[in-house]
Amino acid sequence: MSFLPAIPEILRQFLKRPATNIFPAKYLPPSVTKYLQSVQEGKTSIHPPVETPPNFRGKILYDRDTCIGCKLCIRVCPANAIEFLPETKRVRIYVTQCIFCSQCNDACPVDALHMSDEFLLADEDRYSENMIVE
Amino acid sequence: MSEDSKNKATFNVPIGPVHPALKEPILFTFKMDGELVEEVDFAPGKCHRGIEWMGMRRNPVQIVHLTDRICGICGVSHSLAFARAVEQIAEIEVPERAHYVRTIIAEYERLQSHLLWAGVAAHELGFDTLFFLAWRVREESMDVIEYLTGNRVNYGIVQVGGVRRDFTEDQFPRIEASLQYYEDIAAKLLKLFLEDKTIQIRCKQCGVMSKREALELCTVGPTARASGVAMDVRSDSPYAAYGDLDIAPVLPHHYLGLTNGDVYDRIVVRLLEVVQSVDLIRQCLANMPPGEVLWEKKYPKILAACKKATGEAVGRVEAPRGECLHYVRMDGNPSPQTWKVKASTYSNQLSWLKMLKGEQIADIPIVVASIDPCMSCTDRVAVVRDDRTDILTKADLHRLSVEKTRRLAQWS
Amino acid sequence: MVMMLGMDPISIIGGTVAVALFGILAGLVFMGVERKFAAHMQARIGPPIRQPFRDVAKLLSKDSIVPENAIPLLFNMAPVLALASSIVILLYIPLGGFLPVLAGYGDLILVMYLLTVPALALVAGGFASGSPYATVGSQREMVTMMSYELPLAIAVIAIAWRLAAAGIADPFSLATIAGTATGITIWSVAGPLGIIGFVLLLIVLAWVTPAELSRVPCDTPEAETELCGGLLVEYSGRNLGLFYLAQGVKTVAMAALAVALFLPWNISWYVALSPNAALVADFAFFLLKLMVVIFFSVSVIRVGMARFRITHVVSIYWGYLGGLGLLGLLCVVLDASLGGGGML
Repeated sequence: MSFLPAIPEILRQFLKRPATNIFPAKYLPPSVTKYLQSVQEGKTSIHPPVETPPNFRGKILYDRDTCIGCKLCIRVCPANAIEFLPETKRVRIYVTQCIFCSQCNDACPVDALHMSDEFLLADEDRYSENMIVE
Repeated sequence: MSEDSKNKATFNVPIGPVHPALKEPILFTFKMDGELVEEVDFAPGKCHRGIEWMGMRRNPVQIVHLTDRICGICGVSHSLAFARAVEQIAEIEVPERAHYVRTIIAEYERLQSHLLWAGVAAHELGFDTLFFLAWRVREESMDVIEYLTGNRVNYGIVQVGGVRRDFTEDQFPRIEASLQYYEDIAAKLLKLFLEDKTIQIRCKQCGVMSKREALELCTVGPTARASGVAMDVRSDSPYAAYGDLDIAPVLPHHYLGLTNGDVYDRIVVRLLEVVQSVDLIRQCLANMPPGEVLWEKKYPKILAACKKATGEAVGRVEAPRGECLHYVRMDGNPSPQTWKVKASTYSNQLSWLKMLKGEQIADIPIVVASIDPCMSCTDRVAVVRDDRTDILTKADLHRLSVEKTRRLAQWS
Repeated sequence: MVMMLGMDPISIIGGTVAVALFGILAGLVFMGVERKFAAHMQARIGPPIRQPFRDVAKLLSKDSIVPENAIPLLFNMAPVLALASSIVILLYIPLGGFLPVLAGYGDLILVMYLLTVPALALVAGGFASGSPYATVGSQREMVTMMSYELPLAIAVIAIAWRLAAAGIADPFSLATIAGTATGITIWSVAGPLGIIGFVLLLIVLAWVTPAELSRVPCDTPEAETELCGGLLVEYSGRNLGLFYLAQGVKTVAMAALAVALFLPWNISWYVALSPNAALVADFAFFLLKLMVVIFFSVSVIRVGMARFRITHVVSIYWGYLGGLGLLGLLCVVLDASLGGGGML
């Protein structure tokens, strides 16, 4: 089979385990919403996702108490995802705008911004509580 | 197929803007004679997002992460080209170690981009097994990129004046493991792609472009190298750490003994560049100098340096698809006065007209894919006004550019 | 030889319904299994085996859209014709220990003609849908059909001729070839040279199967990346569902034909069983044989190579496979004229 090198390869692979990552479940559930509900209720177990590496850039974390309101994060944010609130001299971050570059983390002089490893951020509302960090 | 040769009926087959053969929107119109392509026309501009417009309202520190989003596959090439342009204008000296970090990431990007392309090409040929295999192999480089930079796709590692993350000694074993993985699997990949008879009959003598045509059409990158043009920005005008590395353009005759300039040669060049990238990363790891990776740690200082800068510069980078060029002009304001991106597909796309003429319908997908087109990199202009799309001719473009030059001359 | 000419209409109708149900069910199950095979060869998990049932259920519950440029009558008739003709093929092919429902009304030659009908229905549907993709697809399907006829005909003729040379009556009847009643098969008739010939013909038939079923490497008429589905590009809803079912039934029919021609053995020939148990055992063994045939002639071939150009389909089927078939035929002829291993 030198002219069809894939044939021995696929026959060998046939006996091996598939490489697919089965997160969140092996097969698509009939209803994804119901599946997620039952996972939350603890009835079904979800196949865990691949572990995030150290220094992963997930949903942003904001420490309001440390923040000094210097606005440097606003100047370096490529997506204009950070809004300054003049009355409290603090910022508000829109996660749906954020592009997860973590540049604000690097720029922050007092280390008030961090990246978590939370990456499952789907939501139905752009401005839901989960999608705004302040 | 009992067509009377006297009243030969040609018919038009549109492919695109949305079609399974195309990974990104572009409209082809083929005038077909039976199964043969008689005439080709294409209309890009379906994927214009106004990134340059956004950039001209932001400062270079912001733009450098915007450039990551110009293309999902060759993001670091764009940010590197942009950073190099700004660094030249602001006369920023990039630390030596940062050059090596940039080179390693750029080569990992080439690895994953070429493997992604190999998978897409196999899919266009109807060979889904190789598509899955190539993408499974690609996953290793994505994992390493994620491990090194913190994200799989938009790395966000390049900064004006260096890189944002250093590679530490304890990360080297993971890199070394991935290089070993690619060295082990390279022979298998070459065998599966190049020795397969069905791929050979589909790709050999298909979409041929001679060396002369490649030069005349100003093609770049692997597309030009597959036609025998020894051209590679990495060795012709080295940037980052490439000047210190042992690098020569990969040409198909190194492997095959001759150059045909067909689709098969383009597969050969890209797969051999995967092997070359592994070697370059090894060289980088061995020669990495100690030191800082960023010219200035304090962001206000970087912002101030960029704001002060005046002048213009061009940053050139060998992206996986070919030369990627960023032109930046700064005039003492926080945001650049002009920012122009010329991606590699812009240079390569005209070669389609030559390559597709006289081919069969069956070859259209693979020939189109063979230059590794990236429309979202390329599409810089889309004129839509009053529900109609204007087509700008050469005369129009000339008039517009003269007008713009006059405007710029007045400003400066 | 059991002649069925006197069979009463009721049992024919009953048999037809049973075979139709079997064909549709088995077609969908085997398509699911085949997708699983292909997925595992590509290191994927693949869809669950019941996926084709879900697909069909969903397609059948949806509206069919008839494009403006289409010829509605032909466009809507083509899928019905394709499914019906696919089922009719099954009526002439022995299924395990069961004789064909219409044995005695038609033989192998008729089956060869019937095999072209679903393809012709596809072609008609493609031309009637008035899309350039479908038109190109229809032209390609016709070319493909002409290409695989020669190797298929050689394989079939060689077998029947060898049986006739061995002095067996009614050699074109599939019931005879499968030896359902007699236990005589081509392999027991042929000598060593003939066996080599039959192995060559088996390879030819295994290669005709993907062309007959329009699977990779011969899926040029549908070619997803070139013609976005070609022939079927305008089909949707119920009509597409019927084509989907027809594809499943045709897969079973082609595999059953290969089993009847080349792998006719039954368990009951070797193990003494009560008549009912024998039927069940033979049928289970038959399904296993179908699966093996589908694995090699559909899954392995479609997963292991790239799609051909239409010109390659012609040159490969006429040139290489036609040549291979003729070589096989030559071996069989020499075998018969030398009298090797004959039953005479």
